[in-house]
Amino acid sequence: MATDDDILLGPVPSPDDEPTAAERAHAKTFAELVDKTFTGRTPPAMSADDRALLDVATVIRAASGGMPLAPSTQRSIVEDALRKAIGEPVGSTAELPSAPRQQVRPIGSARRRWVPWAIAATSTLVAVAAVLLLWIRTPAHVQVQQPAAASLPSTWKSRPTDPLIGPIARERAGDAASRIDYIFADRLDGFRDRTLGGRR
Amino acid sequence: MKIRLPGSVALVTVITLLGLGSCSTNDSSGTQGAGGVTRVAEPGDVINQDLMIALAQAKNFHHKAKVYMSDGKTDDAMAAVRQILSLQFPAGAPEAEDVRLDARAMLAKLLVGKGDLEEAMRVVDEGLVQSKRESFFVANLHTVKGEIHEARATLLVGDGDGEANKAKIIEERREAITAYDRSIKINTALQKQLMEQR
Repeated sequence: MATDDDILLGPVPSPDDEPTAAERAHAKTFAELVDKTFTGRTPPAMSADDRALLDVATVIRAASGGMPLAPSTQRSIVEDALRKAIGEPVGSTAELPSAPRQQVRPIGSARRRWVPWAIAATSTLVAVAAVLLLWIRTPAHVQVQQPAAASLPSTWKSRPTDPLIGPIARERAGDAASRIDYIFADRLDGFRDRTLGGRR
Repeated sequence: MKIRLPGSVALVTVITLLGLGSCSTNDSSGTQGAGGVTRVAEPGDVINQDLMIALAQAKNFHHKAKVYMSDGKTDDAMAAVRQILSLQFPAGAPEAEDVRLDARAMLAKLLVGKGDLEEAMRVVDEGLVQSKRESFFVANLHTVKGEIHEARATLLVGDGDGEANKAKIIEERREAITAYDRSIKINTALQKQLMEQR
């Protein structure tokens, strides 16, 4: 008669071999055990091998999303993990003699709930303030900026020709023709420089 | 798994969009028409095309007058110079006064050459009255004025040696000296001013 030991410790059958009767019986038994476990009717006693296989089946089912844990179970698992992270004995609520009690906040605490609301409220206030500022702000009167003229080179500006011409000698008092040529050439240089050399 | 957006986040989004919309509205209304907040002024004292056109015309009239003078056509030369006095310059351009005063000096010299001293004095006095600042051209006009007084005195010398005539001669010469002194003072002050500016 085949036993579980024979199935687990015997040679590994090839995939193409036909299952034996013992293998079929063992598979049926294990399937029933898994079904009972998933429906909450885990048998109180089972072999170590079956328990190991059952744990694997449970993990596989949980990983595939087919077995959601109860909220209390989830919290318990997470709290155990957090306790382990901070060095507190898992599953133990006894205080350590030399260290103060470190309370692990549950995940579903109020802190988690109000932080995003606080951020959203702050953002809302900032946006409201910006909008009010824009609506309340009155447009300033038209400001005509004058620095453009002040920053122009002197050669670009209309200006007296005294520095260019200088004192007029008496013998040249009527020689306006040569002076107008000089004035025109000087202003033409400035005009060309301004219009062709990059207007500011 | 559904993700629920908090209501305040949606409210923030709406308010932000409203704010951006008001921003664009304010900007667009600000640039339309005369409601703009800031306008960059176009400099009004730059050498512009109008000034260059006026200077070019003055130059051409002077050259025209020079050609007429070389042909002995003094009247035509004076007519060309008179046209310079009626040229349109940009408002407030300092070059306008300088060019007009120089044209007046040239016209007065032509009139003195022709013997029309009264018209020459009238042209000079008009220029001196219209001048708004002291310049080398104003000083030149005073120089021409002194020459006109000198010419008057010379004419009076030829009229005879009467006492009344002598007084007029002395007066004309005194006026000539006054005009020359005025010209020297203006030139001296301007030269000093230009030296200090350098």
